[in-house]
Amino acid sequence: MFTDEDLESIEFKSNWKKERYTDDVGVQTKELKVDEVRVQSREYYDEETQTENEGGDFQLAETDPEKLAKFLRKIEPELIKMIERNNKSVAFEGYVIAKGEESSSIACIHTFSHAELRQELQITGVSWNSSGSVLAATYGRYDHEDWCTHKSGLCTWSLDRRNMQADKPQTVIDSPSCLMCVEFHPTNPALIAGGNFNGEVMVWDLSKEDDLLVATSGIGDDAHREPVAKVYWLKDQSAKGRKYNNCWSGVVGLWTGLGSLLFGGTPVIMSVGADGKILIWTMSKKKPKLKLVDGFVLMNQSLPRSMKVRGVRADKEIGATCISFNSEDKDNFIVGSESGCIFKCNLHSQGNPAGSQIVSSVPLRSPVTFTYNPHHGPVHSVDYSPFHRNAFITSGMDQCIRVYNVLQDQPTVIVEPGEGYLYSAKWSPVKPTLLAAVTESGYILIYDLKTGQLVPLHKIQAGVNNSPVYTLQFNRNKRNLIATGDGAGYVSVFKLGEELSSPTPRDVELLSSVINTSD
Amino acid sequence: MSEVEETLKRIQSHRGVQGIIVVNCEGIPIRTTLDNSSTVQYAGLIHQLAQKARSTVRDLDPQNDLTFLRIRSKKHEIMCAPEKDYLLICVQNPEN
Repeated sequence: MFTDEDLESIEFKSNWKKERYTDDVGVQTKELKVDEVRVQSREYYDEETQTENEGGDFQLAETDPEKLAKFLRKIEPELIKMIERNNKSVAFEGYVIAKGEESSSIACIHTFSHAELRQELQITGVSWNSSGSVLAATYGRYDHEDWCTHKSGLCTWSLDRRNMQADKPQTVIDSPSCLMCVEFHPTNPALIAGGNFNGEVMVWDLSKEDDLLVATSGIGDDAHREPVAKVYWLKDQSAKGRKYNNCWSGVVGLWTGLGSLLFGGTPVIMSVGADGKILIWTMSKKKPKLKLVDGFVLMNQSLPRSMKVRGVRADKEIGATCISFNSEDKDNFIVGSESGCIFKCNLHSQGNPAGSQIVSSVPLRSPVTFTYNPHHGPVHSVDYSPFHRNAFITSGMDQCIRVYNVLQDQPTVIVEPGEGYLYSAKWSPVKPTLLAAVTESGYILIYDLKTGQLVPLHKIQAGVNNSPVYTLQFNRNKRNLIATGDGAGYVSVFKLGEELSSPTPRDVELLSSVINTSD
Repeated sequence: MSEVEETLKRIQSHRGVQGIIVVNCEGIPIRTTLDNSSTVQYAGLIHQLAQKARSTVRDLDPQNDLTFLRIRSKKHEIMCAPEKDYLLICVQNPEN
């Protein structure tokens, strides 16, 4: 059954090892060369140069006075005739040089927003900085029924940046409650003031690295007890501003460096609030706190007789909504109120003191010197003409724009666009008779009082998705730009055509004839 | 005050007049109410222009002569009254 068998062996080569081959190869680098070279450093000399003042050697030529007198005697009557004729001439009236097409157009060139805030909040204020290249806007709401629990913010966009994203601001400053207004410093492009729903006035410095908040009024007896409606930087020229500035520099005489760096101009801020207070603040030394230096309060007693309600105390406050300063007399300002009244006020006014229900560290008094014929609803904006010291416009919830002469209690012109509430109306900083207004229906309206017709020159959609437009600001530096802010949280920048942004002769005279003659 | 100064003052007092320069026949200012640099500019340029205008008028008709030159610009009106020996330049802003 079993047999012996011799099986042959099988061989196979391993295939996981390979033989290595080696070769000899020669390589050689190029020969290194060494050279010696001399170098030497240059010699320097100091030389002074100076330019000569060319105007220095200006000299009038000598002449024979007799001959000159004879010449002048001969020429004078003719020349005077010409000068007189020029002054009376109407040959160039209405003469404007046409520059290209579409000179009277208006077009939207930018729409900015902050994607996180625009869902819930509206734009409550816009402001251009002093160089005219940065636009700031505050987010907030006008329709609070309760405590404000919104997370709001101040955003800025720079028009000069190339890669600007329309829904991403350049700077965002967060705020724990709704911001209601914003105003850049008139000369320092980094300084910005704002007020919030809780009545706090704040100042930020955009050029700082981390904590941008420079000063705040805090919340307390001295601050507003209602939302801040407007903030305004008092300018140097104001006698009052000088006064405050002096006392301020006296107080912080030691505080050099930072102070002078931050505040080239007078750091005096005026704020108005829905509690009727008009407060004047300066920066306090060292502490990041605004110091109350003076204040006013609007009271029931300033109302015209027709609006007084029996049984209401005479020292009851009236909520202020807007303020505008006269362009020539820096102490003179106009305040609009929630009651519809428009008050002419003066910084030096010594009106009746506030009632005992108001607690404040400085005595508050009434600033009112005159009361105008009221709007039939809250006043939303007042604006003094930058060209005429007696003209101002107001707009309000009663859907009309009124042009007043400061010296008359009745408005001289009433424009009723029929577009719902008018949230803001402003004069053009370039053309004395041009004004712009924004409406509840989402339009921006441009009027020229010169035309004599009360229909808008232009009416274009400014609110995104037909939302109401709450705020309007002309750019004082780049004079063909207007910014608007709407209820959907978008800020739009419009460019005005040449004709709407360049002055034409005799406009000031036309404006004064508009406010003086028409009743 | 001499008669010349009085006359200049009288002209200057008119509405809108910004400055007066009297230039001699070489184009060098003799009397001025403007500052140095504008006087030099106005005197040089307007003198040349007035010369040119005068020679144009004379070339068209040798019996004719330039009596007055008015230049209307966006900002001013410049009036030139030329005579044999002198040229009077008056700068006016009629809008004021």
